[in-house]
Amino acid sequence: MFQIDSLLTIQSTAAIISFLGGVLVVLVVLFLMTTSHIEEDKTSVKHKVYKLRGRYFFVLVLCAVACLFITLRLLPYSKFQGEPEQTVSIVGIQWDWKMKSGAFDKSAEEFVKDTAAKKEITLPANKKIRFIVTSNDVNHDFAIYNTKGVLVAQTQAMPTYKNELEYEFSEAGDYHILCLEYCGLMHSIMIGTIHVN
Amino acid sequence: MLQLSPSEIKKNRTFIKVWTITFLVVFPLLIVLGLLMRMNQGEQINLGMDKFYVLMTLHGLGMAGLLFSTSFAALWYLLGTRHVKLNLGIGYFVYFMILIGVIGLTYSTLLGKFGAGWYLLYPLPFKNAIWPAWSTGLSIVSLIILGVAWLIGILHVLYTLAKEYGGLTNLLGWQYLGKKQVKRELPPVVMISAISLIPGVIAYLAGAVFLVMFLMQYFEPTLTFNMLLMKNLIFFFGHTLVNITLYCCLGWVYALLPEYTGRKWETNKILVYAWNATFFFIIFAYFHHLYMDFAQPLGLQYAGQLASYFSAVPATAVSMFGVITQVYHSKMKWSIVPLSFLIGVAGWAIGGFAAVIDATISVNTIFHNTMWVPGHFHTYMLGGVVLFIFGFFFYLSHTKEEQEKDIMGKAGFWLFVLAAHSFIATFYTGGVNSIPRRYADYKGIPIESTHLIGAFLARIAAICIIFVIIGFLIMTVSILIKLTRKKTAVMEHVQNS
Ligand code: HEM
Ligand SMILES: [Cu+2]
Repeated sequence: MFQIDSLLTIQSTAAIISFLGGVLVVLVVLFLMTTSHIEEDKTSVKHKVYKLRGRYFFVLVLCAVACLFITLRLLPYSKFQGEPEQTVSIVGIQWDWKMKSGAFDKSAEEFVKDTAAKKEITLPANKKIRFIVTSNDVNHDFAIYNTKGVLVAQTQAMPTYKNELEYEFSEAGDYHILCLEYCGLMHSIMIGTIHVN
Repeated sequence: MLQLSPSEIKKNRTFIKVWTITFLVVFPLLIVLGLLMRMNQGEQINLGMDKFYVLMTLHGLGMAGLLFSTSFAALWYLLGTRHVKLNLGIGYFVYFMILIGVIGLTYSTLLGKFGAGWYLLYPLPFKNAIWPAWSTGLSIVSLIILGVAWLIGILHVLYTLAKEYGGLTNLLGWQYLGKKQVKRELPPVVMISAISLIPGVIAYLAGAVFLVMFLMQYFEPTLTFNMLLMKNLIFFFGHTLVNITLYCCLGWVYALLPEYTGRKWETNKILVYAWNATFFFIIFAYFHHLYMDFAQPLGLQYAGQLASYFSAVPATAVSMFGVITQVYHSKMKWSIVPLSFLIGVAGWAIGGFAAVIDATISVNTIFHNTMWVPGHFHTYMLGGVVLFIFGFFFYLSHTKEEQEKDIMGKAGFWLFVLAAHSFIATFYTGGVNSIPRRYADYKGIPIESTHLIGAFLARIAAICIIFVIIGFLIMTVSILIKLTRKKTAVMEHVQNS
């Protein structure tokens, strides 16, 4: 199951960590440039730097393994998903979304002709919802933006494949679907709406 | 060290001059395309969606191609004047083939309105395209010409190096791993060339496979290919091309930096292990482009994150610490060349870090195809590769003394660096605010704040880009003045080395 409540913090945490990483790099550069007028024998420099490198290597590998361990436990893929309380079928076409409640009962080609499949849908909050996503022409990407404009979940809408995304809306209001895979001319106005109540 | 006659030196010099001038002419044009895109996103001009995507496609293909070609040409020059004799006839043949490919692509985009994006994600070029079929065909053929040109060049370099150093395994440095005394020293630049160019060969073959499949579908539209397979081929090709561009540059950083610090940078066991590991990371990291393809086998998703994470180990612990060992307390003068290299490595570090963050699957679900992505790759291309290239150009055109005294060059350099990072910051900020990438504009987004933030950042970016261009022009003037002299520094440094 993949569910993180305050997704806002993923964006901002990533931003803060990256920013700190950038600052560290700048500091190292400044340090190197301002101390380079000093002359030291290469072997003694090597000795010092290699000692530091040994420690760095150890810490880096430890961090990498720890991060892998933490981040690989919760993945968006079906193997990590639970039982959904509701299912929605979705087909992306150039340049529109077709959404309908329930699992697919026909091919993507037929589905897009179904008048019940629309670019808007109403769904409940606080229920686990499974989105079964595919495309009838090129690659699209089904991305859910919450009421505040934060990207909270996505999966590729790929012709001939069905990708299953699980998401639980945490608040009532209008969520929007944006296409996040370049699909041609009107990619930027391929918008859907999910009314959550 | 290689013995070259004065006329051979001169010929090599002319060859690299041709490449230098090509870069200096084409690069600013491609920046202007970027400026137009940002101005359109900022709603300062109105290109229309069709033209936006044409410019985006040309910009992406042009930049990726130009930077790879120039990095490869510089590597060619350094290898060809120091380590092995390379056939300049082949060099020019490759150059002219690239030129033909570029003319084809320029024609198919600007006149044929081809706008499928730089990696032509299958099956977009064929479906509901608003551009005529011939421009899809011309683009495919042009790309095949480019790929073949690069393959010829790469294979020539690899073959010549392998012959000189006694086989491919020696190029990979494996002779250092045994107990036996190494008979012939392997310069790091040679090993790094092999380790970047061999994956290059595999990638161009993968590229050839999908382009030929494209061509088949072009002539027989009823054909279709497996989407997931095509995606894997396309991203393997695209990722590797961009990745090895950076590694080619590192080749000459390893070769040239010691000339300024006075400290040797030699191949040893650790370097061999590190770069051989890098070889695998270059090949397997591309899976991180397919995280949001839930249909991809789970094992490959894990492999993508693992390879991406661990690629940071050799990059930082060996290459970046290597740079630190070079410059720390070295009493060196920060002339424009080592300065470009150091700041370029810093750009590589920052962009690489941002890449590793996005290569985390659970982060990728909210960063994939947002502005974070152009953010990270512009950091190590514009803030890394381009600075390495400039460092190389200064090395080529200026004598050591001029490199130290070139106030104008340095002023242009700092302006360029600061403006470039500010420009890139608008991408990162966009990513953090969920602004999608590859949107002609944000007017259609029904979320007011997203629309406004996206457009606002684009306007800030446009201002930064103007300063990038000014910085570029200042450096260019400084380089061209020195490069077009009768007796240039190039002669001098080849003879000295
Ligand atoms: C000042 C210099 C540059 C400017 C102003 C610039 C600007 C841009 C802009 C505005 C985009 C579109 C972003 C989006 O909405 O998705 C873009 C995309 C891109 N840029 Fe740059 N860029 C610059 C330098 C470079 C360099 C040095 C490279 C080298 C590889 C590069 C490669 C690309 C690629 C591959 C894309 C993606 C195109 C696509 O999505 O198909 N750019 N750039
Ligand atoms: Cu789209």
